[in-house]
Amino acid sequence: MIVPYGNVLLLAIILFLLGAVCSIARRNLLMILIGVEIMLNAAGLAFVGASLKWQLLDGQAFVLFIFAAAASEVAIGLALIVYSQRRTGSVNADHYNRMKG
Amino acid sequence: MKTYLFLLLFFPFGGGLILAVIGRYLPRRVAEWIACASVLGSLLMAIRAFGAAGHKRYLLTLFDWIQVGDFSASMTVYYDALAAIMALMVTFVSSLIHLYSVSFMRDDRDYVRYFCYMNLFVFSMLVITLADNLVFLYLGWEGVGFCSYILIGFWYSDVVNATAGRKAFILTRIGDVAFGIAIALFFLILDQFSIFSINSKAASLSAGTATVLGLLLFWGAVGKSAQLPLIVWLPDAMAGPTPVSALIHAATMVTAGAYLLMRLFPVIALSSITMVTIATVAAFTGLFAALAALGQKDIKRILAYSTISQVSYMFLGVGAGDVTGSMYHLLSHAFFKALLFLGAGCVIQALHEEHDIFKMGNLRKRLPVIFWLYLVGSVSLAAIPPFGGFFSKDRILLSTFSHPEPIYKFLGLIAEIGALITVLYTFRMFFVAFLEKPFLQEDFKKKDLKIPRFMVWINSPLAVLAIFAGALNFPEAFGGKAWLAHYLAPVPGGLPLFPASASLERSMEIGSGISNIGLLIVAYFLYRPESKFLGWRTPVAFRQALEDLLFSGFYLDRLYQIAFVRPYQVLAKILWLNVDEGAVDDRFDATANVFRFFSFGLQLWTTGRLSTYLKMLLLGFTAILSALALGWYYLR
Repeated sequence: MIVPYGNVLLLAIILFLLGAVCSIARRNLLMILIGVEIMLNAAGLAFVGASLKWQLLDGQAFVLFIFAAAASEVAIGLALIVYSQRRTGSVNADHYNRMKG
Repeated sequence: MKTYLFLLLFFPFGGGLILAVIGRYLPRRVAEWIACASVLGSLLMAIRAFGAAGHKRYLLTLFDWIQVGDFSASMTVYYDALAAIMALMVTFVSSLIHLYSVSFMRDDRDYVRYFCYMNLFVFSMLVITLADNLVFLYLGWEGVGFCSYILIGFWYSDVVNATAGRKAFILTRIGDVAFGIAIALFFLILDQFSIFSINSKAASLSAGTATVLGLLLFWGAVGKSAQLPLIVWLPDAMAGPTPVSALIHAATMVTAGAYLLMRLFPVIALSSITMVTIATVAAFTGLFAALAALGQKDIKRILAYSTISQVSYMFLGVGAGDVTGSMYHLLSHAFFKALLFLGAGCVIQALHEEHDIFKMGNLRKRLPVIFWLYLVGSVSLAAIPPFGGFFSKDRILLSTFSHPEPIYKFLGLIAEIGALITVLYTFRMFFVAFLEKPFLQEDFKKKDLKIPRFMVWINSPLAVLAIFAGALNFPEAFGGKAWLAHYLAPVPGGLPLFPASASLERSMEIGSGISNIGLLIVAYFLYRPESKFLGWRTPVAFRQALEDLLFSGFYLDRLYQIAFVRPYQVLAKILWLNVDEGAVDDRFDATANVFRFFSFGLQLWTTGRLSTYLKMLLLGFTAILSALALGWYYLR
């Protein structure tokens, strides 16, 4: 492996934090969804790196599952966002406060 | 043969399925054609199967259905003479009624729903007719119950109709439970669901078991066929469209109970207690319903009570050990009762939804064709020789009288009285509704009495059959061929247990023929001149009380209301207010309050803002993962 594993993990951590900050800081539902996607991909990157380091295919298989989960999540998430936008006329996450206890 | 039987069953099922799935998107004509064609196809297959079978019996497995360990239920059909006749009758009558419905429902927007349920009903009824496996039969049994419920409440926007549907469903369920238990017992005792095997092994049952099984089956049949304790749903079932009443609540479904007992006759016949019970209930139901029919004003309710009364003769036939007679009456009843109902449907539509016979009148001139058709149905119902109903009903009475046990003489007498009252109520209805009116009634002369000609003429095959049903089984005592009796002879119980001598048969038939005609003349003088029933010299209060008694069907509804519905409602109210809300809910509320007290302050966190939740989620995960990582690092 040309790139040291530590660097891969570092990149994954940076990506994950970027995604986390994106989904926390933004109020737009779309941006939150994008943040979640980035976090998922960061995890996938860490898996691929680990798979290369220990020469095991399991990590790469996991990435495929992550892709599948991410794809379905996007499909459902986008549909929900479109529906919510139609219903309330807004994609601002803080406008959905009907669950307030 | 397998193809015929498969198609026989699955034509109506397929029709129902198509209508259910895409019926709404089809043009009206196409949907109607699918509905009719599937039932006509079924009729064709029934005829082909009848021709191909000859005198052979078939036991065919169409599909494996459920298979768990020892328990196996497959879709098996048992095609014997009894099933052949029944399948022919069911498909024939339903074909005519489907065609009739096209006209009858011409102004209804829900025709797809209607035809879909009708097709499903025909399928379920054919399952009952043909099924060998009792679990498969039960599928049909519940299927007809469901279709009956949904079609009684077809015009559900009127609360009365919906309630009538529910009433029918619940009351028939009371019977079905017993049938379900009987099926389970059959499996427990004989390891069998197959009617064929049960019948061949029936002799191995002990007397007590046979009695229990027989009584359970009978109770199931009582629910379906509206016999005495569970009578009350059928008159209310008339809330449905008239073709539904004709098909389900006259010709086919209500006779399914009697048919079940005929199918499992070897089990029934093992126990004389069961036989006597069946005959007793049947005889009293016959008289009861005939008397109640005498007091009704609604033309359909008269026919409903008369159906109960006629079905009871089929039960009486089974109870007296004469399956052939029972089946014969089932056939002829299907023809004339369907004819009467369809005729009544024409009359009701022509008179703009008028049900009261005392508001009709003079229909002889206004609706001449229906007058004649209805006359044929009426004389057949009243068992005037030589029409269909006469020979079938008389055969059953004859079997009852020739039973050696003394109690059967008494039961036969009661049934005979019921048969005589049948003549009275039939012609009360006929004379009052169709002849010129002797009473002061609203006049329909000015109204336009137009109904489609197709709707009238489609009844004529039924009329022909009602006239000539006698020829199906013309008694040998009169030089006839008794074709049906010979055909049904191989069926278990097909030959009467106690055959009557030819001379007794001859004298009996002549006697009851004369008495029926005599009563017809009496009915004319009772209902034609300006004097109501029991109108002379009886005190008004007494007459009123009697009319009320008959009109309400001997207050049976009110009795059930007091005995079952009220206590149930009171109990439900106690359970609701004191147990559910009082005890259970309050305890839960108290528990919840304890938690709320301890969680004070935490609820401030639930801001309802997604971003807060996400932040907390991330913080939480970070904390948990950090703790795990630290733990892993130090405790390794």
